[in-house]
Amino acid sequence: MQFGIFSVSDVTTDPTTGHTPDDTERVRSMLTIARHADAAGLDVFATGEHHNPPFVASSPTTMLGYLAGVTENITLSTATTLITTNDPVRLAEEYAMLQVLSGGRMDLMMGRGNTGPVYPWFGQDIRNGIPLAIENYALLRRLWTEDVVDWSGQFRTPLQGFTATPRPLDGVPPFVWHGSIRSPEIAEQAAYYGDGFLHNNIFWPMHHTKQMVRFYRQRYEHHGHGRADQAIVGLGGQVFVRKNSQDAVREFRPYFDVAPVYGHGPSLEDFSAQTPLTVGSPQQVIDRYGAFVEDVGYYQRQMFLIDHAGLPLKTVLEQIDLLAEEIVPELRKIVEAKRPADDVPLNPPTHAERVAAARTAGASGATHVGDGGDAVTGTRAEEAVR
Amino acid sequence: MSTRRTLAVVTAGLSQPSSSRLLADRLATATADGLLEAGQETDVEVVELREHAHAIVDAMLTRFPSGELATALDTVTGADGLVMVSPLFTTTYSGLFKSFVDVIDPDALTGKPVLLGATGGTSRHSLALDYSMRPLLTYLRTQVVPTSVFAATDDWAGDGSDALARRIGRAGRELADAVAVRPAATGQEDPFGDTPDFAQLLGGS
Repeated sequence: MQFGIFSVSDVTTDPTTGHTPDDTERVRSMLTIARHADAAGLDVFATGEHHNPPFVASSPTTMLGYLAGVTENITLSTATTLITTNDPVRLAEEYAMLQVLSGGRMDLMMGRGNTGPVYPWFGQDIRNGIPLAIENYALLRRLWTEDVVDWSGQFRTPLQGFTATPRPLDGVPPFVWHGSIRSPEIAEQAAYYGDGFLHNNIFWPMHHTKQMVRFYRQRYEHHGHGRADQAIVGLGGQVFVRKNSQDAVREFRPYFDVAPVYGHGPSLEDFSAQTPLTVGSPQQVIDRYGAFVEDVGYYQRQMFLIDHAGLPLKTVLEQIDLLAEEIVPELRKIVEAKRPADDVPLNPPTHAERVAAARTAGASGATHVGDGGDAVTGTRAEEAVR
Repeated sequence: MSTRRTLAVVTAGLSQPSSSRLLADRLATATADGLLEAGQETDVEVVELREHAHAIVDAMLTRFPSGELATALDTVTGADGLVMVSPLFTTTYSGLFKSFVDVIDPDALTGKPVLLGATGGTSRHSLALDYSMRPLLTYLRTQVVPTSVFAATDDWAGDGSDALARRIGRAGRELADAVAVRPAATGQEDPFGDTPDFAQLLGGS
């Protein structure tokens, strides 16, 4: 199982000091967090994508492209990439570029975005959220798997003889997750394509998560990608850890009480009981998260939210160390021992594994257009214009 | 006796005991009496919103209901019939009552027979039942029975007339009639049962 962290990139005042980072400070702290996670040995860093304050992560591939250059091992991902308001042509280009830059050390997660006013800023309408997610993703896949695409649809101008470059690394597109909290249509979409499904349950009770994951698994099997228990599942999580649980609670409570989303609502204790939020010792996190496989089956990726609500950078880096040193090694041992069979994937597929699988299936073709002519028609751009 | 019915009784009264609860209990009894005449027994489950007040606000902020509130919502959405009583505050149902309705899944009450009641200091507000409470429940596509019952201070004072008792009896019979003809509730449905197959989603885009 992979363990990683994801950031929503919120700019939030630290309620204990009154300090509010400016956008530059927040972006740079995200870079520090990602590099620290890489050095500490965590498996994944994912950034959100938002186009409205108080969030700063508007340009994920710029950030992840930089991180690809300064990190060694960590898988770079998104949480989430907006499949609704982004032009799928730009997504095909940007994420293929990131895939090439990172040597395949990346994947991405599609999400719709739930903030109505953002959609028209990008020429869209939230009422079309699901149809946009479906049409745009169908086009994105074609742009990655077909060298030359003729296409027309409902939500963008038609394409004639379009080739998205760079072509995917080794001719194999990045692995894709679909994130959804409440929409079974998105679980169905992930299942249809045999993609991963991540339920970001950080603000939700487990019985809900359990239903959504079960639905995705059943549909994954229905669509013929393997058995239900072989589907690729990820979960969100939220922790705050200190060696002594009392210290963790004392330190985190002022952040919790006024945090965006759940602040001014339920008590820390109630919210912890109802959601995966765990504030306490490393052992408490291990016990809690080690049991989630009983609810959703063996899954391949566990993400943690650790840098929100105005927590200072120094504290976040300490959280990463605690995760990497005190929690993940033991937690990994416990959950991997619960994997039901050897043919249930241990981790989400790597680029190398996907290339090998494509070769075995005979599906991996040309990797680059090359020499100014494309692989299918052999024509050059200027000839095509004629 | 083959059929057992579940009647959920939601009351938003704030004092204990409250006149809203008093009215709710009488409406429930009248409904159960009506169902008995139709040969059906009734299990009455009372949901006092006062006990869930904090959880209702939490649910608005977190967007999911916690423990006992979740159970109360299951009781309400799973019942064969519903009695809902609110005190009238500042011309309409109380904020707590509306907040509770707001955390119910908007599709969960579709088709459910509902009897409405309200309490207030003066009968001058009695039409609030019909201009505010009834449209709210109509919007949720419930089947609101024709008689709703408003009980003002005068009604409890007992001037010797049995007007309130007659209204309660009529309303209870109407709800009982609506419940009696319904197929028995089947319990929890598959939450994703109506999700379209992806081929259909693709075709529709």
